[in-house]
Amino acid sequence: MWKWIQKLASPKVFYETTNKLIPWFFWPFIVLIIVGLYWGLVLAPADYQQGESFRIIYIHVPSAWMSMLVYFIMAIVGGIGLIWQIKMAEVVAKVSAPIGATFTLIALVTGAVWGKPMWGTWWVWDARLTSELILLFLYLAYISLNNAFDNPKTAAKASSILAIVGLVNLPIIHYSVNWWNTLHQGSMFDDISNPTMHPDMLWPLLIMVFAFQFLYGVLALLNARDEVLIREQNSRWVRAVVTGDQS
Amino acid sequence: MTLAETLSFLPYGQYALYIWLSYSITFILILGLFVRASINYKKIRIQLKNKYAREND
Repeated sequence: MWKWIQKLASPKVFYETTNKLIPWFFWPFIVLIIVGLYWGLVLAPADYQQGESFRIIYIHVPSAWMSMLVYFIMAIVGGIGLIWQIKMAEVVAKVSAPIGATFTLIALVTGAVWGKPMWGTWWVWDARLTSELILLFLYLAYISLNNAFDNPKTAAKASSILAIVGLVNLPIIHYSVNWWNTLHQGSMFDDISNPTMHPDMLWPLLIMVFAFQFLYGVLALLNARDEVLIREQNSRWVRAVVTGDQS
Repeated sequence: MTLAETLSFLPYGQYALYIWLSYSITFILILGLFVRASINYKKIRIQLKNKYAREND
């Protein structure tokens, strides 16, 4: 395992591996998103309280979960890059930020659109919504900080520290519905063995969660592949890849 | 007549506006990520090809 990680830390091996992995993430994403959307939008029954509007859950919850998961990954690989000076960890952290920011934006926007018919308002300064908004600002700060330095090493160092400090926001988002009185509904998965959702509604949600994970995978690989080429542009192998038009 | 009522002929009736708006925004944002990746892919290769061509001259 350690040998494999060491091997993957080589930019050339990393580049070749990302190229090989892209279809393994892309096609499962396509299959899962089609199945999840069909099940969620067509087959799943309407909610007895919220009616058809609950179907927004199939994009709102997966994107909200991914907004936190991607941030966690970004902070952890950023930390690995910081401690062990692994350049490829810096690359993964950097390319994850815009993807995570987009998931956060989707969670906020779909939440606002869902809130209008259910709560009668697009936005409230509720603990869950506010902490999720802070997560978006953390992503934007990370991206800005990463672009503020010409030297990628300095940029990675500064932005990784920010990402690690920002980790404190994740438990706040997760437990905000328990710690404070919020308009946002409580967690559906406090007890994973006893979910509060009917299986006909739960299965498409889980499928969509997996679809979004594969989506993150494919987008991170696509962007990481290009980031490696930029960082290693003075290497002979990058010259061979680009001029020989190998992809 | 509100916009939600106007669009209630679509699937999901009175909630059609909210559901389709959510899914459309999500689709556009995700598509944007793929388009960005595709543009970067081409841009970086052209940029590097030009750099190597200049160095060979």
